[in-house]
Amino acid sequence: MVTRSYRSLQMHRIPYTDLTEAQVTQALRPTASGPSSKSAFSDVFAGKHLKIVTTDGPRLEYNFRNSHELELSENGGKALKAGYGALDSRGLILLSHMIPGTQRGYEVVVDPRTRLATVFEVSFSGYAAAETAAAAEAKRAPQFKNGQRNREAQRKIWFGYVDDGTAAPAARHAYTNRLEGKGMYWRQDNDIELLEFYVSILYSNFIELTRFGGEMTICAPTDYIMVNDHQFIYSRIEAEFSGTLTVQIIDLFEMSQKGVRLGLNEKDELEYYLYSGNGETTGQIASFEVFGNNAETRGSRRLYRPLETFEVMTDDEVKDQVLNHAHAFGDGHGSGAAGMGGYKGELVTKFAGKSLTARMDNGGPVIQYEFTDGKQLKWRYEGNSNWRDAWYEMYEPDEDLYFFAHLLDAEFPRSCAMVALDMKNGLSTIVKGTTGTPFRNNETHPTYYFGVFQMEGAPTPPQYLRHGMTDEMVGEAYTWNYSPGNPGLTSMHLYATPSTYSWIIFQPDGSGGLQWSSPGWYSKLRDGVYIMAWVEEACNGTLGVILLNKKIMHDAGFGYHVGRQGGLSLSVIGARARHAGKFEVKKHLGLI
Amino acid sequence: MNEIKMNRTRRAFFLRGGVVLGAGVATAAAAGALLPATCTAVPDRLQELQRELTNHQDREAIRQLHLAFTGAIENQAYETAIELFEPAANLNLSGLSAVGKPAIMRLFLTQYRQQQARVLHSAYRQSPRQQQDLVAIAADGAHATATFHCEVELSCPLAADSTLAQMARLQGQVAERHWEAGRLEARYVKTEGHWKIAALRYLAA
Repeated sequence: MVTRSYRSLQMHRIPYTDLTEAQVTQALRPTASGPSSKSAFSDVFAGKHLKIVTTDGPRLEYNFRNSHELELSENGGKALKAGYGALDSRGLILLSHMIPGTQRGYEVVVDPRTRLATVFEVSFSGYAAAETAAAAEAKRAPQFKNGQRNREAQRKIWFGYVDDGTAAPAARHAYTNRLEGKGMYWRQDNDIELLEFYVSILYSNFIELTRFGGEMTICAPTDYIMVNDHQFIYSRIEAEFSGTLTVQIIDLFEMSQKGVRLGLNEKDELEYYLYSGNGETTGQIASFEVFGNNAETRGSRRLYRPLETFEVMTDDEVKDQVLNHAHAFGDGHGSGAAGMGGYKGELVTKFAGKSLTARMDNGGPVIQYEFTDGKQLKWRYEGNSNWRDAWYEMYEPDEDLYFFAHLLDAEFPRSCAMVALDMKNGLSTIVKGTTGTPFRNNETHPTYYFGVFQMEGAPTPPQYLRHGMTDEMVGEAYTWNYSPGNPGLTSMHLYATPSTYSWIIFQPDGSGGLQWSSPGWYSKLRDGVYIMAWVEEACNGTLGVILLNKKIMHDAGFGYHVGRQGGLSLSVIGARARHAGKFEVKKHLGLI
Repeated sequence: MNEIKMNRTRRAFFLRGGVVLGAGVATAAAAGALLPATCTAVPDRLQELQRELTNHQDREAIRQLHLAFTGAIENQAYETAIELFEPAANLNLSGLSAVGKPAIMRLFLTQYRQQQARVLHSAYRQSPRQQQDLVAIAADGAHATATFHCEVELSCPLAADSTLAQMARLQGQVAERHWEAGRLEARYVKTEGHWKIAALRYLAA
């Protein structure tokens, strides 16, 4: 078991220090002597000379004195000394070192059999300059709301070969989508265990099982490089978090990994070590490119920086929006057609004129309803004499299973009720969405209540049976197409753990692109019918709650959001699904 | 318009124009060698050849201007596109119109750059009707009209403001993308030796 102590905060809640360049330089100073490693370093390079030529990149000439000291000449320049480490992945060599006195270094993967090499030129304190240049080119303001990000590792990737004096090989390593859709479980020699999900060609999703106890997965911009059909190079940078770099060789024949981690952790302490690990695949889900698209020319890496784009609001701003600018379903005019409700189902209006009571267990809300018509209802808490009017929309995502939502009292923080009614057994579930979290006022959070409902003509509800939380969805991946058109508004959900999910945005060629994750919760209503809720924490704040039906691969749901534009909104979600596959991760999460 | 297609277009033009020009120059040279030095037809013929040469140069300049416009739109280099218009120009692209360079600038920098338009031109490609393209230089040599047949890729931006839509936009995603056959009709004016677009409108076939 790993003995490292972590904060109890989820990674996206940690206020990482915005270190100065000088602080980063100081923190990186120990890298001069090279990385540490639990496993023995390879001595494959000891006493040897290695010259690497890259296309449009650096020319590196190494002299390895032994298994941990080298001399390097960059582009024919003066030789410098550095400590290094190397690991051998069945003939494929990972070499790691920094350049003493600088914030630069190299992670190099060399294949002596083919003489091909891939060079990661790594540096720190490079975000500001890169962002300034990118912003100028895109004619937008540079993103510095979350600081200069000096701690964030930057990498340039150069493909090249070992120059042994003979003719240069024609081939090069190349970007690939051959890992796309694959899930891996890893156990490293330092006892760290991880689940990694490679469901995009630009991002990956991972969770350190020995860190969070199986809660939230995290997404990071990622490079996938193909060495051959069974060996790959994977690298990620934990952008928006600690900024730590990981580069690893993955061998799918041996199910092994050899990697390096380089960065400053949440305590601003240096982590620079090589690791070895063994693993197993947890599954392979579908990918959506046309056949023949191997993503070798994937283009430049894109980053999603939600900490920059999140619209942080003050208490007063949120209070004003939720009290004075609240709108449910366009105040009766409908919602979602241009957004996430392009495939919303038929509006159910047959409850007009009916009354019911939704009675939640264990002190949960007991709400009485009178449905005025197909769009408006009256509601009150049991025992309260005052009826309140509210706009609502109701859908039937499974036969005789109804799902509707409305705003609750105009107070701060403000809530909404999303109510499921099962006419086959009298069970009811309410997901109460409320504005505010301990971190941000304009985030939202859900509270689940399970119970029953009473209505004339409805079944007598059971005394013991209830809807309930479930882990049945864990590992599943679904694409959701929210609007007609090609490609329309489409994403893929990956329900990686019982308390988190991530979403992947497809690129125009169908490959997985940007990805981000959030907490997620799953409850079961019927076989194949679930309520899934998520909050886009630290990126948008929206609460999404969908009642998804695997039988018809469709959902009905609601979004709850507060922002400067649009105020407080309750809107409809309706999308069509495809099953992309499933990762068998439950045993790694302690669920079976 | 991708590079290959642009080259094909240019090559096709050069091929056609080159043959005509080459034939004309060769004919003039041969005629000049045969005629007596005092023949009065020679200066007229040279003037005619000069007019033809200028005409061809203008036609080529206009075609290059057209390619510069389509290329700028495809590359979202809207600032470059704006500079191709003369100050009082008017523009109409699939329902979006603007009169005057400042309005054209606003159109591209807001409606296009910020994807506020309902539908955008995002790419162009060759049309089977390209043989019917027409470039006509006015007698004054300072005005011209042209018709360029093409297929335009019409993109409908994502209207939603969800996280999903924001991320999709970062990747260049749109709600709907399809090709439509049509033509660009244009008027040009030559000022200070350079052709500028005086009017440009797209018409669906």
